[in-house]
Amino acid sequence: MNVQGPALAWQSVLLVRLAFRNILRHRRRTLLTMLSMTGGYILCAAAISLQYGSYGNAIEFFVKDRTGHIQIHEGNYLQRPRIHKAIAEPDDLARRLINDADVIALTTRVFAPSLAYSEHKNAPANVIGVDVDGEAATTTIIAKVHEGEFLTGQADADGYFSALIGMGLADLLKIGGGDELILISVGADGSIANDIFIVRGLVGTRRSADRLNVYLPLGAAQAFLSMGDRVHEFSLIIRNLGDSVAVADRLGGLLPESLSVDPWERVELTFYKTMQADREAMFVTLGIVVFIVCIGVLNTVLMSVLERTREFGVLKAIGTRPGRIAWMVLTENAILSGLSCLLGLFLALPIVGFMTIVGFELAEPMDVGGVLMSHVRGEFSLRIFAVPFALVVTTAVLVSIPPGIRAARILPIQALAST
Amino acid sequence: MLNLKLAFRNLFRNGRRTLLTCLLIGFSLSALIIVDGIILGMSKLLVESATHLMSGEAQVHRRGYLDSFDVDLYIADPGALQATLERNPAVAGYSMRVMSGGMVSSPYNVAAAMILGLDAGQEKSVSRISESLVDGEYLSGMDTELIIGSDLADLLEVKLGDRIVLTLSQVDGGGISQELFRLSGISRFGIRELDSTTAFINLDRARGMMGMDTAVHEIAIRYAEGEDSANRNHPLLAELSNSEYEALGWKDFNASIGTMLETIDLVTIVVGMILFLLASFGVINTMFMSIYERIYEFGVIKAIGTRPTDLIKLVLCESFLIAVGSVICGTLLGGAVSYYFSVSGVILGEFEVSGIAFHNNIYSVLEPAQFIEFPIYVILLTVIASLYPAAFAAKIVPSEALQKSL
Amino acid sequence: MIIGSRPLLCASLALFAYLGGIAEAQESNAERAKQIIEEVDNLYRGDASDARMKMTVETPQYQRTLTMDSATLGRERMLIRILGPKKDRGISTLKQESEMWNYFPKINKVIKVPPSMMMGSWMGSDFNNDDLVRDTDLTEEYVLKLTETSDTFEISLTPKQKTVTVWGRIDYVIDKHARVPISQTYFDDDGEKIRVMSFSENREFSGRTIPSVMEMVPLRKPGHRTVVTFERLQLNPDSVSADLFTLRNLKKRF
Repeated sequence: MNVQGPALAWQSVLLVRLAFRNILRHRRRTLLTMLSMTGGYILCAAAISLQYGSYGNAIEFFVKDRTGHIQIHEGNYLQRPRIHKAIAEPDDLARRLINDADVIALTTRVFAPSLAYSEHKNAPANVIGVDVDGEAATTTIIAKVHEGEFLTGQADADGYFSALIGMGLADLLKIGGGDELILISVGADGSIANDIFIVRGLVGTRRSADRLNVYLPLGAAQAFLSMGDRVHEFSLIIRNLGDSVAVADRLGGLLPESLSVDPWERVELTFYKTMQADREAMFVTLGIVVFIVCIGVLNTVLMSVLERTREFGVLKAIGTRPGRIAWMVLTENAILSGLSCLLGLFLALPIVGFMTIVGFELAEPMDVGGVLMSHVRGEFSLRIFAVPFALVVTTAVLVSIPPGIRAARILPIQALAST
Repeated sequence: MLNLKLAFRNLFRNGRRTLLTCLLIGFSLSALIIVDGIILGMSKLLVESATHLMSGEAQVHRRGYLDSFDVDLYIADPGALQATLERNPAVAGYSMRVMSGGMVSSPYNVAAAMILGLDAGQEKSVSRISESLVDGEYLSGMDTELIIGSDLADLLEVKLGDRIVLTLSQVDGGGISQELFRLSGISRFGIRELDSTTAFINLDRARGMMGMDTAVHEIAIRYAEGEDSANRNHPLLAELSNSEYEALGWKDFNASIGTMLETIDLVTIVVGMILFLLASFGVINTMFMSIYERIYEFGVIKAIGTRPTDLIKLVLCESFLIAVGSVICGTLLGGAVSYYFSVSGVILGEFEVSGIAFHNNIYSVLEPAQFIEFPIYVILLTVIASLYPAAFAAKIVPSEALQKSL
Repeated sequence: MIIGSRPLLCASLALFAYLGGIAEAQESNAERAKQIIEEVDNLYRGDASDARMKMTVETPQYQRTLTMDSATLGRERMLIRILGPKKDRGISTLKQESEMWNYFPKINKVIKVPPSMMMGSWMGSDFNNDDLVRDTDLTEEYVLKLTETSDTFEISLTPKQKTVTVWGRIDYVIDKHARVPISQTYFDDDGEKIRVMSFSENREFSGRTIPSVMEMVPLRKPGHRTVVTFERLQLNPDSVSADLFTLRNLKKRF
């Protein structure tokens, strides 16, 4: 005869109803307990959001600004750049890459250290040939252009191609938009590359990493350096930044041996290490925040259980089984913490939303590994809201076990005597 | 006094609750002390790395030099500046420097580099270049001495004693200058740019090569008091600046680190505030529970004529005592842990921020403020937090209270 | 004279003569070395010269051949004009004392060669600008030591204390009979060969025997080689005068 089943179910429902009743009975106590838990939840969520957000943002910023998610080079070009280490038949490679499920966008570049001359002055310059469309789609370069416009792939009426120069060069050479820029370099075939370009705009600031850069349209740069259609670098944007290492490995296996496929973590090792350390610091801070939150929960839950000793004594005196008392305590706290977290969720949503979309503006942009960050932003994702939820509820439940058991074991006489 | 005695008794009556509350507040305080110590330690390391490695805590240049590093923008006669620096007790050391881009050639390879002419003795009082050597010796004033970064040494395939020719342009449109050096030292800063593109030679040699006579490009300064370096408007800077030259504190020529520090400060304050907000919820909760529990008692007290204000004072007293107790525990715990960190360091591995390499541990910094101001805040906050429960206690209506049994 | 001291005197005189002879021999060794070096150094120059050459640069990545005209006056002045290939036609280099300028017809600009390019290679070859520009007075700045064999003079040049050079030693091997260079080997301080220039294919130019082919091989860079062939060389021609070596002339179309 199966009488356990329905009996158990009925008991569970009873338990829950009891729990609710208890919670609602001591409104002020409940409210305060909830406040503490809700507050803890919101703090946790905000802290996690900000930490992950700024970390993720710094990386995204940096990666979009400089390296792309993954880079492809010929051989050891990354470690020892030489003009002749170039990727042949880039169009084929581009086609293959674009058809790959993980690749969203790509762009190609050529590089050559050169000398830049203006009317009276000269300075060393880093010449970078960029694919006008590709670069716009994969980096933030357009946003950095001021006093002029971004490049165009066409030559002007006089047959000159355009160039963008960094502020450092603009200062050293004393030139600006519309002026002539002479570039001298060594071509891939050993000849002396020499040509005139027209400055179309300035990029960056006096202290930014690109201050001695000259950006040219890819075709013009390739012609300047006698490189044919070859390029030095492919820069890829993939679907999910977090998969960069895995995707790089996979692509490395698919593509010819002679090509090196590197995720941004390898391309910018120092920046990566910095962010790693930063993340460790973040975990430490988060740990502390979580710890405090847990203590808060501990305190409130413990107290609300302990101060009802008399009540439990009465219950036991009228025959309630110890187990049931323990369960009741547990259930109450589970429900309480659950409700607190729900409330916290509602309140945290707009807060985290604000931090993610608007963010906090820094007094002066911060240089992280060479990239200027002007805002500190949060992250809006499942883990921001799920982690504190799990944390608070788990803590509340765990913390209520010992006193719950104690309450279950108490002798009614002792309980009734205490206050 | 009666209040205090009563408060004590009340607290000890429910020892467990009192203890828990103390723990909550105490832990919050400890956490804040520890974290503050770490952050101060990190800031200090940041600043020191930024300034002591090479740049110095303040620098003097000809106006416009920092924007373009044009070698023709030199300080022609640093004599007056030097005199000012010599007399000023705030200055622990200064160093004259000459800098230029140039080519470094070995029999095997050739590379572009930034060539710095330093006065060996002066430099020691400002930067740690001498400590960055991994091979060979520091400069001692001999003409042919040359120190290059480890990556540059690899590129040029040279070892100590090898011939290296430096080629650079003289200032003011002069011709090309080429001189022979012998590699006397290899340095490693752990920063890519420095290790692959710098070469150090003696100041007089550099001046000779560049045709610079007594001129310099930069004077780097270290203060006697570490705190002075944080002062952007230190009187020394004003004294050294004029229409031609400008003296800047490190926060101005390395603005990014400055901003980072400010951000860190801001974050600490915000986190601290929120932490204490949380803790105060706990306090309120506790106080309420304790009052609620004793509501019968309060009813009796009020019934026999105790004034509401006395009740408030009683509650505040209790919370004050809790606060003091917590603060003592918290300070002791926080202090102990922080002290441990200040001696043995917090390990964070190796990383680089804004071109500054961290490869040291962070040592926590203990400051009086942490042990005086923080505890005071805590006590204040706790007492304030208990105002609400206190008000509640004061408003208890004896007739209702005496009816409550549970 | 005392009879007894005559043998002593004779012996002394003989000794002095002998010692003096050695010293003289040593001096004459260095003197001879100096003479030979000076002769060889001026081989391609004279007081002035006018030449047409072909330079082939080989690297593992490409092979390139340039044809050019060159003119020199004394040791201070040199003008080189590239004739081909078409892409580089018209590029010219002018050297005066220790300064060097390049002219690029495509952009119609004269560029003074800054230090950063000075140590770089000239036109992509294994010679660097410094090789062309530097007027090293080998005989003054180096200590010379001559060794003679039946067919060759071998002169080793070791830089003096103050000499500005990356080389620890340079060995010249010269054909004794034809009085033409056979090779120049450049060593680092440890005595390791770093680069070798070889001379071959002797021909008659303006009444002199001169190797028409110079080959420079950097030993540490496998696959790299530069070969210069003189197709025409006139020494002390009338066509070469001081006003050829001006910036204005550098830009002149030809």
